[in-house]
Amino acid sequence: MLSRVVLSAAATEAPALKNAALLGPGALQTARIFHTGQPSLAPVPPLPEYGGKVRFGLIPEEFFQFLYPKTGVTGPYMLGTGLILYFLSKEIYVVTAEMFSSIATIGLLIYGIKKYGPSVAEFADKLNEDKLAKLEEAKQASIKSIQDAIDMEKAQQALVQKRHYLFDVQRNNIAMSLEVTYRERLHRVYREVKNRLDYHISVQNVARRKEQEHMISWVEKSVVQSISAQQERETIAKCIQDLQLLAKKAQAQPVM
Amino acid sequence: MNENLFTSFSTPTLMGLPIIIMIIAFPALLYPTSNRLISNRIRTLQQYLINLILKQMMAIHSPKGRTWSLMLMSLIIFIASTNLLGLLPHTFTPTTQLSINLGLAIPLWAGAVILGFRYKFKTSVSHFLPQGTPILLIPMLIIIETISLFIQPMALAVRLTANITAGHLLMHLIGAATLALFSISTSTALITFIILLLLTMLEFAVALIQAYVFTLLVSLYLHDNT
Repeated sequence: MLSRVVLSAAATEAPALKNAALLGPGALQTARIFHTGQPSLAPVPPLPEYGGKVRFGLIPEEFFQFLYPKTGVTGPYMLGTGLILYFLSKEIYVVTAEMFSSIATIGLLIYGIKKYGPSVAEFADKLNEDKLAKLEEAKQASIKSIQDAIDMEKAQQALVQKRHYLFDVQRNNIAMSLEVTYRERLHRVYREVKNRLDYHISVQNVARRKEQEHMISWVEKSVVQSISAQQERETIAKCIQDLQLLAKKAQAQPVM
Repeated sequence: MNENLFTSFSTPTLMGLPIIIMIIAFPALLYPTSNRLISNRIRTLQQYLINLILKQMMAIHSPKGRTWSLMLMSLIIFIASTNLLGLLPHTFTPTTQLSINLGLAIPLWAGAVILGFRYKFKTSVSHFLPQGTPILLIPMLIIIETISLFIQPMALAVRLTANITAGHLLMHLIGAATLALFSISTSTALITFIILLLLTMLEFAVALIQAYVFTLLVSLYLHDNT
């Protein structure tokens, strides 16, 4: 607002500046710089791990240190006792029914805190730790999964390097099977040709045997036919004479 | 300091100025806030307890009822903390005053009922007639149900007031008895003091239970009407 006053005053001084005065406040506002602070709160400064030390749960340790140079160790205790006795004796603090109920209440509170304080503190610490552990677990799981992916990728790359063994083996296999097939077929060809040749040979053998048999039977038939009846009788008589001689010889032998 | 039994229940003034507003606003100062993920122990415990109570209390509600979560959580924390702070000596408990409890009960109950009547008129009106009543009893039953509906905020407020006030009065009386017996016979005073201890333990429980009951009933009224 003051800027407008200044600018209008300047406009009255120098009429040439009047147009500038009309645009003045807007120009000023555009020149203002916003967001000069830090854009984020991170990293958050750490919290202190333990609270300040207190005695009797109420009075900070610094008070005792403050009185120590002048009154020594017992100074604050004397002060406390004196104050309490002063309040009681001058009836600034009146002993009423409230005193007993306050003794009961505060006594109960102190007993409860002393008894269950550490376990509750442990519970709170455990809650915090569980929270952190969960987040840590998430982080570790993410890191682990990425690491696993990296390892798998490396393993795949290593395998790709060794692929040529596989190809060699496959090539060998194919060559061997080709060879086997070729030899098999060769053998079959050989067998077929042998078969055909054997057939021809056996055909020739059969023909020759047949000719031989036929010739033998023809010769026998003609010989048998050529034997006349006279010759047959003479041959038979001669055989009988031979046999009788042989029989006489045979009879003579065993006697000796 | 305390002339009669009831001075501890009078509206507190400091040099003639009522400081009741500050006393009502004071418990809010006891609950720290922080924008960190992991904080100190008291904040962790506070978070844990509020989460527990929230889940337990708002589980039965529909999403429409759950819009009241903030209200109900603030309610239970306010009543519990004012009740517990009232157990300390020489303190003033706002919930002993009927005015404050009525101020809590009537708007909440009326909100729930008006919500029910606005969005689910038939269901809300049907609550006036339980199932399976004989026809002759219907007019009387409707009158009775209407009366019981209108008694709900009164019952809420008076229940809380009476419980807390009665507890405080009893503690005061037994404390006075202990004080009087102290000079007469110490052993009887000791017995009375033990009674006072037991009563204090009860008061702690009552403080929390009353808060719970109040909030639970409001949430029940809400559940009926959403």
